[in-house]
Amino acid sequence: MRLRLLAPFLRTMRNRFFPAGTVPLKSLGVGLFGLLICVALYLVSVKVVGYFHRQSELGVILSLKIFQMAWIIMFAMLIFSCMVSSVSTLFLSRDNEIIFAAPVSAAEIYGMRYLTTTFYTSWMMVIFSLPVFGAYGRVFQAGPWYWPLMLVCVLATALIASGIGMALTVLLVRFFPARQTRDIIFYLSLCFGIFIYIIFRLLRPEDLVNPDKYAQFVEYLSAISQPAGPYVPAAWSANLLSLYLLDREIDWLLLALLVAGAPSLFFIGEWAMQRFFLTGFSKSQESFGGFRPFTRPGRYRPGKAGWIFRKESKTFLRDSAEWSQLFMIAALVVVYLYSFKALPVERSPMQTEYVTNLISFLNVGMTGFIVTSLAGRFVFPAVGAETPAFWLIHSSPLSINRFLLYKFLFYLAPFTLLSLLLVLTSDALLDISGPMWWFSVIASLIICWTVVGMAVGFGAFYADFKAENRAAALGGMGALLFLFSAMSVVFLIIAGGASPMYHFMRHWIAGREIHPGNKIALLVWLAGSLLLGGLSVGFFWRKGSRSLSG
Amino acid sequence: MKEDLQRLTEDVALEVAGLTKRFGSYTAVDGVSFRVGRGEIFGFLGPNGAGKTTTIKMLAGLLKPDGGTITIRGRDMARDPAACKQVTAYIPDRPYLYEKLTGYEFLQFVASLYDLSRQQFSTIEHYLQLFDLLDWQHHLIECYSHGMRQKIIMTAAFMLDAPLIIVDEPMVGLDPKSARIVKELLKNHARQGNSIFLSTHSLEIAEELCDRIGIIVHGRLRALGSQESLRREAQLEDSDLEEIFLELTGADELTAIIAALKGGRG
Repeated sequence: MRLRLLAPFLRTMRNRFFPAGTVPLKSLGVGLFGLLICVALYLVSVKVVGYFHRQSELGVILSLKIFQMAWIIMFAMLIFSCMVSSVSTLFLSRDNEIIFAAPVSAAEIYGMRYLTTTFYTSWMMVIFSLPVFGAYGRVFQAGPWYWPLMLVCVLATALIASGIGMALTVLLVRFFPARQTRDIIFYLSLCFGIFIYIIFRLLRPEDLVNPDKYAQFVEYLSAISQPAGPYVPAAWSANLLSLYLLDREIDWLLLALLVAGAPSLFFIGEWAMQRFFLTGFSKSQESFGGFRPFTRPGRYRPGKAGWIFRKESKTFLRDSAEWSQLFMIAALVVVYLYSFKALPVERSPMQTEYVTNLISFLNVGMTGFIVTSLAGRFVFPAVGAETPAFWLIHSSPLSINRFLLYKFLFYLAPFTLLSLLLVLTSDALLDISGPMWWFSVIASLIICWTVVGMAVGFGAFYADFKAENRAAALGGMGALLFLFSAMSVVFLIIAGGASPMYHFMRHWIAGREIHPGNKIALLVWLAGSLLLGGLSVGFFWRKGSRSLSG
Repeated sequence: MKEDLQRLTEDVALEVAGLTKRFGSYTAVDGVSFRVGRGEIFGFLGPNGAGKTTTIKMLAGLLKPDGGTITIRGRDMARDPAACKQVTAYIPDRPYLYEKLTGYEFLQFVASLYDLSRQQFSTIEHYLQLFDLLDWQHHLIECYSHGMRQKIIMTAAFMLDAPLIIVDEPMVGLDPKSARIVKELLKNHARQGNSIFLSTHSLEIAEELCDRIGIIVHGRLRALGSQESLRREAQLEDSDLEEIFLELTGADELTAIIAALKGGRG
């Protein structure tokens, strides 16, 4: 295979991480940060796997079952993410017009796309799975061959997943337009994610520490995770490594299957590409839904705010990659609230009322973190989501501050509703009333409005009008800084309320008279939180507005 | 004296004085000054990278100048950008639009940004018909061709009936019929006392439409005036705009290149 098509990818990487042939501090920092995460993952995994391993024979079996499940989940995730990416890389990439117009064979293009897509979709999984699987080697005191075997297994599994994902994508696009295929795969992977998430929650991992249910849980887990089928490549890796971990034996057949699997699938994909590609590529240039007229909207009504809201909602609801995320949020909310229902409050050695109030207090922080991460996903990229069409807003008489205000107001309502839904429902499930109820409502509203305001400000400052979609904006430095700053503010607001609320509630639960100092402390917290929220929003908003004004 | 000043303000739609923009140590636009009168079509020419688009972006309020002033109908862009933008319609060279809106929804959105009345908005029917977009108005913009996108932006700009239109490369992507229509619409708009600032690479368009022309080279205004005065300046009395342009932009090396190509060495 000729590698000339890989030159743009390799040079882009080099220019990105080693501009002008040097190693900049930023790249070093990113590398160091990644290394730290790997070390942390390794240490945590050693601790967890070691804990299981020490629990007699049952613990060893349980830890190996988890090992197998991890491989299979990783494999499925890799296939889905590869399919979603490969629709884009193969059929919708911006450089397609240059490459396809050149006298380059479909096989050569496939080779280039295969390698780049595998890199994009699996680098993170490969790097972060190594410390986890490495921890097994350490705990089981595996022999010297475990490490090269593990590396071969991880790489072969990633390459096989890519091979399957890409071949399936080429076949699917033969039948459906590329954008539709991407949507279909996206929904499927979303359903898979929600399924895994809900199943994991319904397994009630907290029962692992409940001795009464331990045996029952292990039985259940064993039943659902029998040795994985012989046709699943991830199971080849899991079984090969499990066997070596337990008996220091290498199953050469499984190893051969793994090593031969990746190139075989690559050649199948290449064949499919040569045969079906042109039909698929022609279809990929069709617009999904674009060739049918939409219903005529109502009469034109003047009003900037109204139209900014309408544009925002129409753009959101007509982009399936956006609105389908609502399912994920719904699953998140259901599982979150289910956790409160399943809380074993009665087993606590403390008085139930203390525990429920404490949980309600902490829940305000949890809700704040959920709101922050969702604001990072939806509000932070909202300004950049204007795409280069932002010239229209910028050249219009609408001021940037007013535009940001409308954006803020648009997202404020759903985020306020979500915050209240999480706090009020969990309060109801915990049977909370009185001062803690008021505290949780007021604090979560302050947090919600602050976080949404900060997200708009940060989003304006780091607006990426060239990002392909909102999700793409999440990978940038701006999103990380937003999450970090917003979570710090949430933490400060919650931490600031801890002491006054503790003293207030202690008196209230005991039925004692509340000291005026306690009331004043709470008022000071309220004023301080409002001030902190206002200043944070004002500061970042100002920066964002200035940056957009150019 | 006061009356003279008032008349001057009334007659001048756009006044640019000492406009400067730097990107790091590079000066993209360097002290550019000119005026565009009411009812005038002003052509803005220059080779690639001369600073045309940067100038236009500053005029449209998309970029903040590092120096100089922009006055639109007596209002300072730096002090009162909203008032300046209210009387300006901007047509960019690349038609980036909201892909998930239909053409009609896009026009409604633009109208709302400029607080257009219902009556003014109703003029879109006329322009949509002119540009053959009536059948496509309720389709998503994502399925529009480049030319259709350009035409929907043109429709939006003419719908605004703005006293000043700033247009960057007006004919890019348009079919001959639409290009003819745009030229007539621009001329008609100017005849009604409105002004047009037009940047183009097409010397034919500049020659046909523009009352006066400014030529920018390396960020500086190299020449300014009517075609007659430019001819005199270039000392090319009987030449067309192409030769004047080449002379004034200092494309001396072109003669050697053409000679080489003719000699078959290209």
